[in-house]
Amino acid sequence: MRTIAVDIDDTLNNFTQTLRATHFAYHERYALPPALFDEYLERLRNNTPVDEALLSTRFAYFRARIHLECYQRAEARADGVAFMQWLKREGWRIVICTHRDLRTAYAATKEWLEQNHIPFDYLFRAGNKIVFCRLWGIDILIDDNMFNVVYGGRYGVRVFYPKTAPKTSDSPVTQESGARGFETFDQLKPWISV
Amino acid sequence: MDQRVALLEAFYRGLPTDRAKLETSAHGFEFLAHLQTRGIQLEYGELTTSEVLHKYKVTHVSAAQVEQFLDWHVAKLCNVCLYFDRQANPVLSFNLDNDNALNNTQLIPEVELAKSSLVAGLEALDCKPLVIASGRGYHIWCRLQAAIPNQRLYQFMIHTGAAALLAVQEQGLDQHKVKLNLYPDVRIQDLVSLRLFGSEHAKNHVFSRILDGTTLLDERGSWAYFERHLALRTIALATFDKAYDAVVPPIG
Repeated sequence: MRTIAVDIDDTLNNFTQTLRATHFAYHERYALPPALFDEYLERLRNNTPVDEALLSTRFAYFRARIHLECYQRAEARADGVAFMQWLKREGWRIVICTHRDLRTAYAATKEWLEQNHIPFDYLFRAGNKIVFCRLWGIDILIDDNMFNVVYGGRYGVRVFYPKTAPKTSDSPVTQESGARGFETFDQLKPWISV
Repeated sequence: MDQRVALLEAFYRGLPTDRAKLETSAHGFEFLAHLQTRGIQLEYGELTTSEVLHKYKVTHVSAAQVEQFLDWHVAKLCNVCLYFDRQANPVLSFNLDNDNALNNTQLIPEVELAKSSLVAGLEALDCKPLVIASGRGYHIWCRLQAAIPNQRLYQFMIHTGAAALLAVQEQGLDQHKVKLNLYPDVRIQDLVSLRLFGSEHAKNHVFSRILDGTTLLDERGSWAYFERHLALRTIALATFDKAYDAVVPPIG
């Protein structure tokens, strides 16, 4: 059985667009004064995190809360959904491979996948997806993270990335990486069948 | 049954065993299939960044399978972490860690002082805890005679924990460097689990040694202490109630 690993955020969904465009109303559940709420939200949207010496901070808590809301609100790519359903019909083993903290995001993630009729066999969080794919014998990864795009090929993982994702659209991808960008998920079908 | 497994089952009785988190280097689809043939379901897996360590949250675990997990645990093939009951529990635990973003594997003075203050505070309340070195901090357990509602446990822990952090501040140290997590935490009780005694720390592979006063016991000594603590230091409900009343201000 062939196995494929597929990322969620900015690959199967529009996470960054959701983060930037959604109106998040101030609420005391964020445990912040209003001015700090506005500042932190702006930082999240611009991807300029607070440089802090500690792990458990108000910004870290706020980021987790807002990200969780985005996981729930983000829209699935229709061609991505159709592609995942095609994978299932073709007998692929599907591993959803994400950076999300699944301790807190598992329920929302599973619900979102089910609501969008996205089939999967396993759900994994991996700090380093290339290492994960190598350990688990997975040679195909669909992901927008530039680290994986640049280094996957070097370690035997063929990486396909959405050209329209914020991370990959801003950065040039060299030929040597072996990674290949796609505009629609349909393009992937012949590429991964090789 | 291995005597150590029996001790673990006795100490942690009352914690749900239909779900658990396993920390292990074992991985691969054959490993998952091995679990699934026993009726176990994988909620999610995780590959940590520190090294090749996998964590699996498993559900639908049978009583027989839990015992096998504990066999693996004492044989150091994996670490078993258990979740807490959603309503009431007969154990509670404070988890003290170094919260520095960089180099958080060191045991820092702030954590040491918080631990000492917390242990002294609990002992003054006649609630002698079991103190386990976790690598970068401590797990401080209290075993109770019977299950107590989580909200009541949480209130007790919030107040005793805050007093310990205040002691850190009063000594001129930064209490913010100490991460204090409480188990069961009424806000996230289904989300977080805690490693059982007898494990090796995931990052540094150091056995979870028990602290006897100021002496860190070796593995054998720790098991002997664990057995004595189980036999002699379970906190009676009346004692807990008295301690609760002493630290938690009455409402209104």
